[in-house]
Amino acid sequence: MLIEIKDMTKDYSLGNNIVVPALKNINLKIDKNEYVAIMGPSGSGKSTLMNILGCLDTPTTGHYYFNDTDISAFDDDELSAMRNREIGFIFQNFNLLPRLNSLQNVELPLVYAGVPPQERRERAIRALERVQLANRMDHKPSELSGGQRQRVAVARALVTNPGILLADEPTGALDSKTGEEMMRLFHELHSEGNTIIVITHEQEIANYANRNIFIKDGIISSDTINPNPTIVG
Amino acid sequence: MQFGENITLAVRALADHKMRSFLTMLGIIFGVASVIAMLSIGEGAKREAIAKYQDLGVNNIIVREKSMSDAELEEVRAKFSPGLSLNDADVIKDVVPGVDKVAAQAELSAEVRYTDKTVKSTVIGVTADFLPMMNFKVGKGELITERHYNERLKVCVIGAGVANSLFQSDDPIGQMIKIEDQWLEVVGVLQSKTLFTETVGELAARDMNTDVYIPLTTFLNRFTPENALTSQIQQITVQMDGSGKLLESSKLIEEILKRHHWKQEDYNIVIPFELLKQEEKERQIYNFLLGAIAAISLIVGGIGIMNIMLATVMERTREIGIRRAIGARKADIMSQFVTEAVVISIVGGLIGVLLGVTLSLIVSSFTDVSTYIRLYSIIVAFTFSVIVGISFGWLPAKNAASLKPVDSIRYE
Repeated sequence: MLIEIKDMTKDYSLGNNIVVPALKNINLKIDKNEYVAIMGPSGSGKSTLMNILGCLDTPTTGHYYFNDTDISAFDDDELSAMRNREIGFIFQNFNLLPRLNSLQNVELPLVYAGVPPQERRERAIRALERVQLANRMDHKPSELSGGQRQRVAVARALVTNPGILLADEPTGALDSKTGEEMMRLFHELHSEGNTIIVITHEQEIANYANRNIFIKDGIISSDTINPNPTIVG
Repeated sequence: MQFGENITLAVRALADHKMRSFLTMLGIIFGVASVIAMLSIGEGAKREAIAKYQDLGVNNIIVREKSMSDAELEEVRAKFSPGLSLNDADVIKDVVPGVDKVAAQAELSAEVRYTDKTVKSTVIGVTADFLPMMNFKVGKGELITERHYNERLKVCVIGAGVANSLFQSDDPIGQMIKIEDQWLEVVGVLQSKTLFTETVGELAARDMNTDVYIPLTTFLNRFTPENALTSQIQQITVQMDGSGKLLESSKLIEEILKRHHWKQEDYNIVIPFELLKQEEKERQIYNFLLGAIAAISLIVGGIGIMNIMLATVMERTREIGIRRAIGARKADIMSQFVTEAVVISIVGGLIGVLLGVTLSLIVSSFTDVSTYIRLYSIIVAFTFSVIVGISFGWLPAKNAASLKPVDSIRYE
């Protein structure tokens, strides 16, 4: 099992002893090479779940096993290493560094992984080639279209060969045509063996995934297999 | 993340905001420049002082007749003080331990004449020891010798100024000059001595280049004192053997003179080395003050760095969040920002060093203030600026590192 979450809760303290529970007793297993969409209205706790899955945050109680290692008690440095090695983030607003060109943006995770410059460059080029952006390596994000930016972000997520690709509303900032292209890319990446978790509030996007998880008021309200995922032509 | 990458990153971040980076650096630049300039002015003053006292001899104790009005003179003579005499010199030499040489000198203001030219001068009767003791160097001919002294020869060694006014381009050696009613043969010309422009202790400032030196024996034999009250000699220069007991020896000399002068203090005792030490002590306070002011401006520069960096961290919250999300540890963010502060202070420090060196060169070439730049002052100023950079970059860097990735990645 790639990911196993056991009896997990997450509370937010607002001060004055007011505690807001964001996640209540979550149990969840995700296997390698699954393509999962996590859905839910805003305020449902899906972002909180994503933050914990992405090692950006830690649960209040419960356990998070990643490759059978309990990482819920990891310290900040260990979580940083986890994010670096195992999580490939793809954000709604791309989150590229504006002053770096595509190549430098894609190289960045490898910089923090301590990969030597030569190898770094080669791997970043390969990742950019994978998303068909080898010809935009020295472009800065401002010189790229939204779709191209998101593909740079995908390349950055792929470059470390992470355990999961974690996409947060990946098409939220794209028009429908570009969004569809992005979904095609996700489909390909999935069929190449990647594990993909997409957080979205759009049913259409969720339909591309093989499994749909709904979150409501901090609990998983449904967890179903999608028998007919949308295939992009 | 390696050190080299951090440097590249910092340089790039600073280059992205050239104007802002430069303004941030200004504080450090002026701080370092003023530390170097201040220290160089202090050092210049110190060297000037040392040179001045070296002229007077750092191992010397100088006993000089006090300048007194006729009435005062009459009073001390009435109380049986004979004034400074050769006898005093002899006793000092016999009684005070550690004395190397004792040189007595007698003086007389007179006009010196050669053909139709005259020049106002001080005629000084000296022993053979005197001129070498006072660091006089011969420019031409010879100095006063034992033979001149013993045989009371009518010879003289003239200062460079006298030689210039009387002889111009002629060779003075072997020429006869006339002082009062005496003819003296010029046997030597002294090298020019830097103007003794400051009064040291009780020794009045004067131009030694206009002096004429003759054997003391000749002086006492040939010239009559200005009046009956004038003491036999005007100064006794005692050279000690360098064992460092200048103060004790000067106390002993004072005891001797007190007894011989019937407790009349018609003389002053000057110890150039002690004055040097004293002056150095005073200057130290002054230098410390200057240095402190300069250091404060460096610290203000550091606060400038902190101020800008704090603002920068706010502005770059999103960047920090992104870096954290893709695997940067707190330590990576910390070192990224500290490195930026250090790069600012290193670059600012280097520019400051250049400016400081230029400044002190300008000061010394356009004013009377002499400056001297010592390597240590550059090192001190530069090191201090880097320390300031690190310490004031620390807090903003810590702020940056402690931002929570969850929050900062969504920061708009």
